[in-house]
Amino acid sequence: MSEFELHLTINGVLHVIQAEPCLTLLDILRDKLNLTGTKEGCGVGDCGACVVLINGQAVNACLVLAAQAEGKQVITVEGLAQDGNLHPLQQAFAEKWAFQCGFCTPGMLMSCYALLLNNPDPTPEDIRDAITGNLCRCGTYQSVVEAVLSTVKVSRKASHD
Amino acid sequence: MFHANYVAPSSLEELLSVLHHYGGEAKIIAGGTDLIPQMRLGKLAPRILVDPQRLPSHGITETSQSIGLGACLTHTQVINSTLMQRVYPALVDACHQIGGPPVRNRGTLMGNLANASPAADSALPLLVYDAQVVTASLDGEQVIPLREFYTGPGQTRLAVDEFICEIRVPKFSDQTKAVFLKLGNRKAMAIAVASIAVCLSLDELGQIYQARIALGSVAPTPVRAYHAEAILLSNGLNDEIIFAAANAAQQAASPISDLRASAGYRSKMVSVLTRRALQMISRGLSQDDANV
Repeated sequence: MSEFELHLTINGVLHVIQAEPCLTLLDILRDKLNLTGTKEGCGVGDCGACVVLINGQAVNACLVLAAQAEGKQVITVEGLAQDGNLHPLQQAFAEKWAFQCGFCTPGMLMSCYALLLNNPDPTPEDIRDAITGNLCRCGTYQSVVEAVLSTVKVSRKASHD
Repeated sequence: MFHANYVAPSSLEELLSVLHHYGGEAKIIAGGTDLIPQMRLGKLAPRILVDPQRLPSHGITETSQSIGLGACLTHTQVINSTLMQRVYPALVDACHQIGGPPVRNRGTLMGNLANASPAADSALPLLVYDAQVVTASLDGEQVIPLREFYTGPGQTRLAVDEFICEIRVPKFSDQTKAVFLKLGNRKAMAIAVASIAVCLSLDELGQIYQARIALGSVAPTPVRAYHAEAILLSNGLNDEIIFAAANAAQQAASPISDLRASAGYRSKMVSVLTRRALQMISRGLSQDDANV
């Protein structure tokens, strides 16, 4: 298999990578770039542990060929915190205990982050719909909904002040 | 881990040449939501993956008679299109019940049809809207009615050197109503236990002059329930006709037992779903009122 030169913009940084074309975006993130925040659960798009954003949309990184992400903007969980400060969504996950073992958390965060990008004032039903593709075997779903709602409340308050 | 070459042609001619050159050893990859799991599980091992996403156009095009759904249209694009919401609400409902958001953001209508699962959600509304599959090969274009497209589980009339370049759906009058219902083990990320789409056109006296019913997950392919459709034609949508059609719909089903449900349960659910779908149309209800 001939190697490809890939140009991927990940969390705002352009990476030029030599890779086999049929590696998945998940393989590249974890094995070539050491961005191991994104997890591999099922590897077939069922569990959502590998959710990242491509051009603002939540996708399963295990179902995207790295070659298909050529030239696109990728955001992973490592791209949420800025200057050492947690993103408000991460802060809310911590405060509301929206995780237990933490394995689903990066994917869960990215699905919620994608939701808020497209819908800044979601209803609990919108949030539940946004995380239908994310499995949490610890069963923290209700706390995830509360965390997202509290993020919305905090940002609404901030914009009023 | 799997190995294959990858090419993303920038023109249809180039894409068709690659398909022709590699024959059955090439596979089209768009969203990859069905193909990558199959490759990972070793069920498919193509030599080359051909990505149509750099082809010039693949949106929604409207003419006076029909609407064309382009090759790489994703389920999310269908759901978010105000035109689709207005003209083909049953297709929007079906797309909204596929997988979860990450799958819908990548998966395409074209792929859902080409993968030819008997449980494909989007196939049912497209069957009752009487869609056509427009294919292209180096020999030219071909138009295949969707009702003749499937030949078996995972099998279609698509030749190895053919590409689905458009799904063409006729436009309907305001008297045409359609619904889609899916029975699954959960609301999201579920493969249907049984599913149905119904499309009826009623005249001003309430007589049905056009009826189409399609069933999913109860036969080797998505199927039309022709017997039930015949019962509905030229009748009003009353309880007696609804129950007769619901019973007749079972004749189109030849379900199997698998890990999701038994054959007997599926057969019964065909009648239940047919009755519910027809009642929803008769009462003017939408998907939001369905409690399946």
